[in-house]
Amino acid sequence: MRGFLLSGFTLLFSVLSPVAAESPRSPRGVDNAFFEAKIRPVLVRHCYECHSSESKKVRGGLRLDSRDALLKGGDSGPALVPGKPTESLILKALRHDEIAMPPKEKLPASVAADFERWIQGGAPDPRISATTTAKSGIDIQAGRAFWAFTPPQRYNPPAVRDMSWPRTDIDRFLLAAMEAKGVRPVRDADSVTLLRRVHIALVGLPPTPQETDAFLADHSPEALARVVDRLLASPGFGERWGRHWLDLARYADSNGKDENLTFHEAWRYRDFVIDAVNRDIPFDRFLALQLAGDLLPAATDAERDLGLTATGFLVLGPKVLANRDILQRKMDVVDEQIDTVGRVFLGLTLGCARCHDHKFDPVPTRDYHALAGIFASTHTLDGFKLGNPVVSGWSVRPLGGAAGDRLQTAALEYQKKVKANADSLKKVRADLKTLQDATPAKSTRLAGIVVDDVDAKKVGFWKPSTYAKPYIGTGYLSDDKSGKGEKSITFTPTIPAAGEYEVLVSYTSGGGRSTNTPVKIHFLDGEKTILVDQSKPPSIDGQFCSVGTYRFEAGASGSVVISNTGTTGYVIVDAVRFVPVGAAKTVVKETVEFPSSMQKKINAAKAKVAELEKEEATLKASAPPAPTLVMAVRDEPKPGDVSIAVRGDPHRLGAVAPRGFLSVVDSPSPKIAEGHSGRAELARWMTDPKNPLTARVFVNRAWMHLFGEGLVRTVDNFGVQGEKPSHPELLDALAIRFVEEGWSTKRLIRTLILSRAYGLSCTRDPAAERIDPENRLHWRANRSRLEAEVIRDSVLLVSGQLDRTMGRSSVAKLGEQAINNNSVGGLSQELNNRRSVYLPILRNDLPTILEVFDFADPDTTTGKRDATTVATQALFLMNSPFVMEQAKETAHRLMETAGDEARVELLYRLALNRRPTSLERERVLHFVRSGSSGRDAWARVCQAVFGCTEFRFVE
Amino acid sequence: MVMTNPHMNRRDMLRSAGIGFGYLAMAGLSTQAALASGADPLVPRAGHHKARAKRIIFLFMHGGPSQVDTFDYKPRLEKEAGKQLPFAPAPGTTVSRTILPSPWKFAQHGESGAWVSELFPEMAKHVDELCFLKGMHTEGQSHGQAVLKLHTGAPALTRPSMGSWVVYGLGTENRNLPGFVTICPTRGHGGVLNYGNAFLPAVYQGTAIGSASTPASSAKIRHIANASMSLSEQRQQLDLLQAMNRDHLGASGGDDRLEGVIESYELAFRMQSAVPKLTDLSGESKATKQLYGIDEKPTDDFGRQCLLARRFAEVGVRFIQVSHSFKWDQHGNLKKGHESNAHEVDKPIAGLLTDLKARGLLDDTLILWGGEFGRTPVVQGKDGRDHNPQGFTMWLAGGGVKSGFSYGATDDFGYYAEREKVHMHDLHATLLWLLGLDHEKLTYRYAGRDFRLTDVYGRVAKEIFV
Repeated sequence: MRGFLLSGFTLLFSVLSPVAAESPRSPRGVDNAFFEAKIRPVLVRHCYECHSSESKKVRGGLRLDSRDALLKGGDSGPALVPGKPTESLILKALRHDEIAMPPKEKLPASVAADFERWIQGGAPDPRISATTTAKSGIDIQAGRAFWAFTPPQRYNPPAVRDMSWPRTDIDRFLLAAMEAKGVRPVRDADSVTLLRRVHIALVGLPPTPQETDAFLADHSPEALARVVDRLLASPGFGERWGRHWLDLARYADSNGKDENLTFHEAWRYRDFVIDAVNRDIPFDRFLALQLAGDLLPAATDAERDLGLTATGFLVLGPKVLANRDILQRKMDVVDEQIDTVGRVFLGLTLGCARCHDHKFDPVPTRDYHALAGIFASTHTLDGFKLGNPVVSGWSVRPLGGAAGDRLQTAALEYQKKVKANADSLKKVRADLKTLQDATPAKSTRLAGIVVDDVDAKKVGFWKPSTYAKPYIGTGYLSDDKSGKGEKSITFTPTIPAAGEYEVLVSYTSGGGRSTNTPVKIHFLDGEKTILVDQSKPPSIDGQFCSVGTYRFEAGASGSVVISNTGTTGYVIVDAVRFVPVGAAKTVVKETVEFPSSMQKKINAAKAKVAELEKEEATLKASAPPAPTLVMAVRDEPKPGDVSIAVRGDPHRLGAVAPRGFLSVVDSPSPKIAEGHSGRAELARWMTDPKNPLTARVFVNRAWMHLFGEGLVRTVDNFGVQGEKPSHPELLDALAIRFVEEGWSTKRLIRTLILSRAYGLSCTRDPAAERIDPENRLHWRANRSRLEAEVIRDSVLLVSGQLDRTMGRSSVAKLGEQAINNNSVGGLSQELNNRRSVYLPILRNDLPTILEVFDFADPDTTTGKRDATTVATQALFLMNSPFVMEQAKETAHRLMETAGDEARVELLYRLALNRRPTSLERERVLHFVRSGSSGRDAWARVCQAVFGCTEFRFVE
Repeated sequence: MVMTNPHMNRRDMLRSAGIGFGYLAMAGLSTQAALASGADPLVPRAGHHKARAKRIIFLFMHGGPSQVDTFDYKPRLEKEAGKQLPFAPAPGTTVSRTILPSPWKFAQHGESGAWVSELFPEMAKHVDELCFLKGMHTEGQSHGQAVLKLHTGAPALTRPSMGSWVVYGLGTENRNLPGFVTICPTRGHGGVLNYGNAFLPAVYQGTAIGSASTPASSAKIRHIANASMSLSEQRQQLDLLQAMNRDHLGASGGDDRLEGVIESYELAFRMQSAVPKLTDLSGESKATKQLYGIDEKPTDDFGRQCLLARRFAEVGVRFIQVSHSFKWDQHGNLKKGHESNAHEVDKPIAGLLTDLKARGLLDDTLILWGGEFGRTPVVQGKDGRDHNPQGFTMWLAGGGVKSGFSYGATDDFGYYAEREKVHMHDLHATLLWLLGLDHEKLTYRYAGRDFRLTDVYGRVAKEIFV
C-alpha cells in the first residue's frame, strides 16, 4: 500500500514514524526514512511550487516530485546522479553555485549537507513515478482491492465441530475461528453477572434488587430475551445508546476553542438523538437526517422540524470563531465537518487529504475537495457574537413550519431595530460623554469669555487632535507641520462690555512644537504680535499662556489670529480666553461664557439620549414572541465547487474539484443537481446498500459497545492504517443482515446479545491465553471499566437520588459566554441529579466526574473511549463532595432498614447485585462497629463500595 | 480515541499511573513503542540526546506584553512619534499607521548592556542571566488562536500541550506528584486545552493548581484533601476498600487493570500527604517571602505563584507553568495597564531568578517568559496598542542557554521580526532540544498519522545554546 503515497500535493509529514525510525538502515543511515525526514519536506516546501506535476507552470522543464523525474532532470540536464553529489545539479543549486535555487532564499547549509549525504547514500526515494497524465498519484483501481472498499460478501455460517455450543450464527462464526486455532470458549457467565452486564450495556444502570430477583425466578428459556426486550423498550436505552452517538457527534453545549460561547440550542439535537434511538429510526434515515435533514421531503411541520434539528450534527463542532481570516475560518469549519463525517460514518480519516493526497488510504486531495465543495456550499457560520464583528456566530433556524419562519422574520426584524437603537444610543451616549468630559469642571468656572477652536475661523488645513491633554472643548488643532505660512485661525470674541481684558492662549506643549508661534491681537488701540514658545508648558494651570492685557470695545470688533508663519515646529491651537480686569470685572461676572455651540451640542445630545431611551422602552414592551430555534444548516444561496487548496491553504488555489464523493468507493454516485449543495446526495451515496463502509462501520461500533472491542478494533479507522477485522466474514454477515433488516439498531443489538458468545464469563484460561492473549477470538468476555456516566448514574441509583426527568436544556442559565477568562459562568451553575447524559457539556469545562473518568473529548469524534485507572480517579472517589454526599444519602437509605447485617445485605444487593459472603459481611460489620458512630461509619462503607473495583467494572 | 496500535488492551491498561512494570531500557525505542511494550508511562526517561535542562518553568504573560515598551528598545519610535509607519501594518490589525512612542524610558543594564525599560527595574538587574529572543513571531491575530498556538502548536485543532509532550517524552522524577502542573491557569482562550493531553494518554495531562479566578494563596489540586476525615480515618477506610479490591482481584484470576486500580489508590493517598505540604508556604523564611514580594501589594499573588513554581521545580516536577492571567491586553490605556501589570510581576520574577540561582537550580531549570504575542508599535485608539504576532520578544534563562545574550531582531519600529527569527514552532523545537528531545522524533501515532508538537515545522535555534 505504500505505493499510494506520493506526489503532487504531498505536503509531507516529515515525521518519522516510530516504527520507520527503528527500521534497519544502511550503514550510513540513509534510507527512505531519511528521505522522509530530511529531503521530502524541503522539496515540498521549497521546490514543488515550480517543479512538480501540480505546478501551474513547470519551470525549467524540471520536476522534483518523483525519483524518475529527478534522474531525468530538466532543461539543464539530470538533477540527480545517485552516489555523486558533485555531479548532481540539485545540490549545486541549493548551494547557489552557478544556479541559485530556491531563487529568493538560500537554504541553510545543513539542508545542503543533508542532500549531499542523501545523494552520497544512493538517494533512496520511495516516490514512484508521478504520471504525467493523472494529477493524482493514487491508484484508485488498486485501492479498491483493499478489504474495506470491497462490498460485503454473503457467507454461510461455517461448520463447527462442537455442534452443541453455538446458539446463533454469530456463535458459529466465532467458534469456527476458535476451533481453527485450537481455542475453546470458557464457561457461560452466571445469571446475575449476565443480568448486570445486559443492564449496564443497554440502559447504563445496574439492575435493582427487584429486577434481579425477578430474573432469577424466571426459569424459562426466554428469560434473557424478555429482559432484553424490556430494556430496549425503556427510555433508558435511548439515554445510553444515544450517548454513544453523542460521543461520535462530538456533542457539546458550548463552542470551546478560542471563544467559548454557549450553544443554547444544542440540547434539541441531543434530545433528538435520544428520541431517535428510542424510536429506532432506521440508521440510514438517521444518517440522512443529520447530513441533510433540512433538504429531505417532509410531510408535516413536525417532520421538517425533526430534519432541521438533526442537522445540528454539522453545526455542533468546535470552531475557531475569532479568526480574522474569514476564508480560513470557513474552510476550517468545512474541514472539521469532513473529518467528523469521514470518521463517524465511513471510518476514514479524510482530514489527512486536506493538504495532500492521503498518505495511506486511496483518497486523493481532489476527493477531499470534492467533499469540501459540498460543505462549503452549506451555511454553517452565521452572524456575529459578543457584539464583536470579529467573533462569528453559527446558523440557527426556527422550528414550526411557516408560522415559525414568520416568527423568525419578525424576531430578526425586531432584533435589527433593537440593535440599531442600541447602537445609536451607545454612540450618542459616548458623544455626550466626550462633550461633557471635554468640558472640564475647571473650565466651567473659567472667568471670562472663551472662544474654542471649533468656533474660530480657519484658513488652511488644521488637523484635529486629542493626543495631548488638557484642552478646551473636544480637542485641539495642529498645523501638522505643513503649509508653513499658509495657515491661520481667527478667534473673534463677543465682548459683553468695553474694558480691559487679559488675553490667554490655550495650547498643549511638547517636544516638537513650534518655539515661535505668532499670536496677533487686534484690539481697540491697534494690533500686536506676540511669539509663543509652545515647546514649553503654558504657565497658567498648565493650560494657558498670557499674551498681555488689551482694551476691547463691546461687541465683536476685536480678534486674535494665530498663524504658522515663520514657524518650524508643530503649531498648536486650542482656544483663546478673554479675562476682564479692572472695571470690566464688575460688569462681566465670574460666569462662563462657555462656547454656546458647545452647550448647544450637549443639550442636543441629551435630548437625543432621552429620545432613544424612550424608543428602547417602547421596543422592549413590544417584543414579538420568540421563535423556537435549533442549530441547523441551510444550503448557501449559490452552491458550487471549490478549488483545491494547495497544501491546505485556502488562499492558494489550484484546479477546481467538482463536487462528488470518494472515487475509491465503487457504489452508485447520485448526481448533484444544479442549485443544491450535494448533502442529500452525499447521504444517499453513503446509505446505498452497495456502499462498502457505512453498514460495516456501524455494526462494528455496536459490537464494540457490547463485546468491549470491535471486530475491527480501530473503530474509527477502517483505512490502511487501521486494523483488519478479526472475523471478516462475520462482519460482512452482520452488515448485510443489518441492511436487510431495515437498518434497525435494536434488532442488531438484540441479535448480538442473544448469542451465546455474549453470555460468556470473564474466566481466564491459560491455554487460550497462550494462543490468543488479546482475546481477539472472543473465547471469553472482556471485563470493562464502567464509563463515567455509568459510574455516576449508578451511584445516584444506589443512593436513591437519581432524577429520571428526561430532556430539556442544561445550559439555560448560562450567558452568551459559557465561561470567560475569569471563570465567570461555567457548569457549576447547572449541576443536578439527572442522568449524566443531561449534564451540561461545556467544552473546556466538563463536569469533573466525566472528565476524570475519560469522558469522550467533545472536541473530536470519539468511537472508543479510554478506560484508564489513574490516581485522579482515586482522589475523586476518596474526596469529592459528590461521592461523599451520595455515600451519606446511601447510608441514610440503609439506616431505614433495621439491623447491621440487613444493611450490609442491602448495600451489596443495591450496588453489586449480589449478597455479601460471610467474610465480607464480617469485615463491614467490624468496620462500622469499631469506628465512628452509626451513620457516618455506614457512609464511609458506602463510599468504599463506590470506589471498589467490582463496582467500577462490569464483567 | 482511535489508536492504530494493535495493543489496545494492553496499552489502555498501561495508561494507568503506578503500574509496577519497572524501569525499561528506552534506548533505541520511541516513547510510544516503549509504552506499547509495557513501560511505566511516567518513569523518568533519557531523551534522544544529552539534556541541557531537566525541567521548565514557563511564566506566561497572558494578553500580550508590548515588546517595544519592555525589552525591544526602538529609538525611532520616539523620534518619529505621531508620524506614519513607512510600511503597511499587518492585515487584520487596526488600520492606524501612527507611531506611538513608548511612554517609558529605556536604559542599558548589566555587563551585557541589555536595554530594559523602566517597567522592569527588578528584572533589569538580572539581564546578565537572560537570553532574549527578540525575533519571535507566530500566527494568530486573535488571543484564542495565539494562546493555543503557544501552548499546543496548533490554533484550530485540538493537540497536546507542550507540557504533555515533555512529560510524554521524559516521564517525571517525582512519582508522588504530577509531572506537569499549571498554577492558576486561565479558563478562556482554550482554557484546559492549553494544558490538555489531547490524544496522548491521560497521565500526561497537566494538573491545575487553582485557576485564574482563585487567589494563589488558596490554589489547590482538585480533591487533594478530604473535608471530613483525618488521614488516619481515611487510611482505615482505604484498608477496607483495598481488602474488597484484593478479593475481587483474587477472584478474577489476575487482571492488570484491577491491580492498577489498587496501585492508584496508594498513589493517591501518598499524593494527599505530599501535595499539601508542598503548597504550604508557611515554612518559607521571611527573607524568601520578601524576595518574591509575598505579603505585600501588588506582588503577593504572583509572588506566591513564582515561589510555588520553585518548590515544584525543587522536587522534580517536569513542566511548571505560572500564569499572569489575561491582563496584558492594552488596546487602550497602555501606560496605566502595563505599569500595574509590570508592578505585579517584576519583583516576583526577579525573586524567582535569584532564588533558583542561590539554590543551584538555575543550571538545570529552563525559564521561559512571554506572552502569546506582542503589541503593535502603532497606536490603537488614543493610547493603546493592538495585537502583534508579527514580531515580539520572549526570554529564556537557565538550563543550557547563553546568558546576557540577545538573539534576533525586529525592524526599526519593532513591528515585524526581521533577523534571526524564531517562530513559535522553532521555540517549541528549541525547548524540546534543551530538554534532550528531538522534536522530529518525539511523535505519537493517532488516527493514522504520526503527530509532533511542531507539526511539520520547527528549527532548533542552536545559536542560543551555551
